[in-house]
Amino acid sequence: MSEPKSAAETRPWKDPAAVPFISIKNVTKKFGAFTAVNNISLDIYRNELFCLLGGSGCGKSTLLRMLSGFEEITSGTIEIDGQDMVGIAPYERATNMMFQSYALFPHMNVEKNIAYGLKRDGMGGAEIKDRVAEILKLVQLEEFARRKPGQLSGGQKQRVALARSLVKKPKVLLLDEPLGALDKKLREETQFELIKIQESLGVTFVVVTHDQEEAMTISTRIGVMNEGEIVQVGEPHEIYEYPNSRFVAGFIGSVNVFEGQVVDDEQDHVVVRSPDAGIDIFVSHGVSCAPNQKVAYAIRPEKISMSRDRPKDKKNVTSGMVEEVGYLGNLSIYQVMLESGKQIRVAKPNIVRLDEEAISWDEKVFLSWDGSAGVVLVS
Amino acid sequence: MKKLIVLGAAASVFAGAAMAQEQTLNIYNWSDYIAEDTIEKFEAETGIKVVYDVYDSNEVLEAKMLTGNSGYDVVVPTSDFLQRQIAAGAYQKLDKSQLPNLVNMDPDLMKGAETYDPGNEYSTIYMWGTTGIGYNINAVAERLGEDYEVNSWELVFDPEISGKLADCGISMLDAPSEMIPAAMNYLGLDPRSTDKDDLEAGAALLETVRDNVRYFHSSQYINDLANGDICVAVGWSGDVFQALYRAEEAENGVEIGYVIPDEGALQWFDMMAIPVDAPNPEAAHKFINFVMDAQITADITNYVWYANANKASMPLVDPDITSDPGIFPTEAAKARLWAAQVYDARTDRTVTRLWTRVKTGT
Amino acid sequence: MNGAVEKTGSSPFVATLKRLLARTGLSGRTLVIAIPVLWLLIFFLAPFLVVAKISLSEAAIARPPYLPLWEWSEGMLIISLNFANYQYLLDDALYYLSYLSSLKISALSTLFALLIGYPVAYMIARAPDNTRNLLLMLVILPFWTSFLLRVYAWIGILKGNGVINNFLMSIGIIDSPIVMMQTDFAVYVGIVYTYLPFMILPLYANLVKLDESLLEAASDLGARPLTTFLTITLPLSMPGIVAGSMLVFIPAVGEFVIPALLGGPDTLMIGRVLWNEFFSNRDWPVASAVAIAMLVVLVVPVMILQRSQDEKEEAAS
Ligand SMILES: Nc1ncnc2c1ncn2[C@@H]1O[C@H](COP(=O)(O)OP(=O)(O)O)[C@@H](O)[C@H]1O
Ligand SMILES: [Mg+2]
Repeated sequence: MSEPKSAAETRPWKDPAAVPFISIKNVTKKFGAFTAVNNISLDIYRNELFCLLGGSGCGKSTLLRMLSGFEEITSGTIEIDGQDMVGIAPYERATNMMFQSYALFPHMNVEKNIAYGLKRDGMGGAEIKDRVAEILKLVQLEEFARRKPGQLSGGQKQRVALARSLVKKPKVLLLDEPLGALDKKLREETQFELIKIQESLGVTFVVVTHDQEEAMTISTRIGVMNEGEIVQVGEPHEIYEYPNSRFVAGFIGSVNVFEGQVVDDEQDHVVVRSPDAGIDIFVSHGVSCAPNQKVAYAIRPEKISMSRDRPKDKKNVTSGMVEEVGYLGNLSIYQVMLESGKQIRVAKPNIVRLDEEAISWDEKVFLSWDGSAGVVLVS
Repeated sequence: MKKLIVLGAAASVFAGAAMAQEQTLNIYNWSDYIAEDTIEKFEAETGIKVVYDVYDSNEVLEAKMLTGNSGYDVVVPTSDFLQRQIAAGAYQKLDKSQLPNLVNMDPDLMKGAETYDPGNEYSTIYMWGTTGIGYNINAVAERLGEDYEVNSWELVFDPEISGKLADCGISMLDAPSEMIPAAMNYLGLDPRSTDKDDLEAGAALLETVRDNVRYFHSSQYINDLANGDICVAVGWSGDVFQALYRAEEAENGVEIGYVIPDEGALQWFDMMAIPVDAPNPEAAHKFINFVMDAQITADITNYVWYANANKASMPLVDPDITSDPGIFPTEAAKARLWAAQVYDARTDRTVTRLWTRVKTGT
Repeated sequence: MNGAVEKTGSSPFVATLKRLLARTGLSGRTLVIAIPVLWLLIFFLAPFLVVAKISLSEAAIARPPYLPLWEWSEGMLIISLNFANYQYLLDDALYYLSYLSSLKISALSTLFALLIGYPVAYMIARAPDNTRNLLLMLVILPFWTSFLLRVYAWIGILKGNGVINNFLMSIGIIDSPIVMMQTDFAVYVGIVYTYLPFMILPLYANLVKLDESLLEAASDLGARPLTTFLTITLPLSMPGIVAGSMLVFIPAVGEFVIPALLGGPDTLMIGRVLWNEFFSNRDWPVASAVAIAMLVVLVVPVMILQRSQDEKEEAAS
């Protein structure tokens, strides 16, 4: 392939020498006395599909709007492709934005909506026509060129909005909840389309979403936000497997958290004594923490094995009673009450159809996991 | 049927009883055209409650009279308008037995009013006046010289002279049937002529001075003259005197004169009449008779500075007023006054059209 | 769905009404349409027909001052229609010139009202919520005083020794007063001032709905503020502009009071011509013909506009 390798393959963030494409340094945004974005520093690399993930009101849109120029920065700096963005108006920036509401111009048809940005650049009529045709093909809307936005479905509008923001070939495309208004099925289909388009055009995407599954699916990296701050940045699997805080662990997917205390702190392993779990949990990697520090141990439901008999070879084994079983099709979720009274969730893939032997309500079960299955959270 | 009529009669008896307690009289008169206490006195004397409305153009009154059901009991049209409205059947004949004060009226003037209302059957004179020239004495002297004597229509109709006054403002009445005859008279034509050529000639003269005229309006000039906003107004005698009076009150240094030019002027009568469908003609007669009382008429003249036609009131009128030739003209001046001509519909239209041409040039 | 029907059906009043309507063959829908139609019949069509009738009769010295249109005579109904009044309007250039002049004055006034009203409406629509209500109040406030009073106030402002002249003379910009009263200028001031709220309110109602993200989108796509205004705000506020302009233009054409009080003698407007016909000439038939002609002059362009807009909408769908 002669195409430039996608950021997902080259992973420039792993390379200390790589130059970031977007460099956000100590950026703060205040609305009056209220701090919407608090001292964020973040590097985003060329061709990334970077997701800003967080709950509603955590400042994602505000950060995006500072990148596009709609909000002024209270303090800090933003550089895009080496250029300081302070004082540069939205219409002078090489960024384009896809709005949460799509913001399609209702009085213009699809073609005119898409051509709008090109016209502003003073591009010639013939070239505009080609470019619009090209992008309409990319988003598969050729037949709808003459329609007005009011005559399009939600999914079609979404694609027009995407086409309109992409057609200028911006250095950075900013997308605010781009799939938020679509229903679930369409959203999942569109996620892959978005990745395809991003990879084929080689544009750097910064996507805001509150949907963690979406973030996991599409991003090269995720920045998790909470109350105006970035709490963790990492590749999807890092965020999932190695959350650095209870917030991130709880926000991304489902997780069981045991409260405990470090009783053995070695170079290559630690032991967390957890009355919750009813055992001393063995963790097969070192953790930087103080002796006897109170910590939390987080483990995902699918990392726990469940059996009627006590397993022999597992480091961590505890037991409880099955309280509830939830059948989700591809897997079943068990809610198990431990002897300590703590309820935990265990996920079991449904490998066999109609498993007569499956564990069921009120059975006593043993739960076990490896030393590497969970993480210790010090914050 | 019979029963119904009886019932109807009974009802009207009750209505009559109620009316004796609370009779009302609706009067429609020109604005600023009555003494301050006239109505009060009438109410005190008769116990009739008066509703008093005002207008400031004959046309507005006429529209109401011709539409009918105006609800008014006494109205005060100007003589030439009255004549036409009588022809249209708008008024009822006066019951002279209810008007003992008619003896107070000046027979000569009543005779003059017969031009419009033969036999004075429908009306009696309320006030009368002339259409002459009001002017700001100092402003005119400043522009035409101290020696210039204002005694001719040339003040407004001579383009050269009115041109010198244009900067301080000339106004004319927005009344074609008064302005065009005045111009005709100045040209030596009969002001009462209805000949199209004569009317055209009058209008043509007006057009030559059109650019020197700031506006055509029939009441605005009172204030403007008093404030010094304009310096010459073709206007109604009493109104000019009202301006004079207001200027004196304001002590703003504006001195106003009124002149009946030597060439002559229009003499008009404002006549009290009772609409044919007046709700309360009895009270209307009472009011007309009340106004013809010597003292009451004198009070009105003393207040509005218009001449009345009430011989008995003369001794009671302020000598300043009776001796002012602008209000009560000398015999010589009287001889040169003319009466308004009542036009037929076609002439009316010609005159209005000419007037539009004078004002707008189209 | 079912539940909703049952709910309304359970109200005895609604049920009775429905039964009644069913019996008379009327549906609620017809009724809803019938009310405005009735309104138009009573308050528009009936007076219009009366005026149209008078326009076809002949003037006379009578009460009312025109001849009846029909008469019974020896068992025969004699109808006499007099079209001479309309003929008359064509013969004398005065009428045609007055219509033109009225249209010109109204059109220019509408334009000025738009130029002043648009920024004001825009500002109000973009103001913070609490200020916005206050500003709207200020726009509507003049309606609380008599219209005549406000026109008279303008006389006080514009006249020779009025507010403006006194001010300009006191600070020495001019030596003698500028003549503003009794000029076309004063008429424009009066009309624009009087009808400005009718321009601002529909514009405001339109602009306040304008989605701010559209403006941001335009800016994001490279449009400078002026371009954004011309390509987004202006076209989207077209319905407001049209509504506001109609509300100013139509009554301004027939305006009588403002030119009569503020205008000069040469301010030619159809309202004055109509006044003259009615009051000075006592010719109610010709006056009525002028009024009907004015209506036609106004209604026809409005209908053309309406039609073209409908067509545009149809073409769009
Ligand atoms: N223009 C503004 N004025 C005041 N507060 C604002 C403004 N815009 C956003 N906020 C506040 O800032 C916070 C972050 O908003 P936003 O960035 O839109 O959140 P989200 O993460 O849901 O996109 C919210 O509490 C919001 O109320
Ligand atoms: Mg948001």
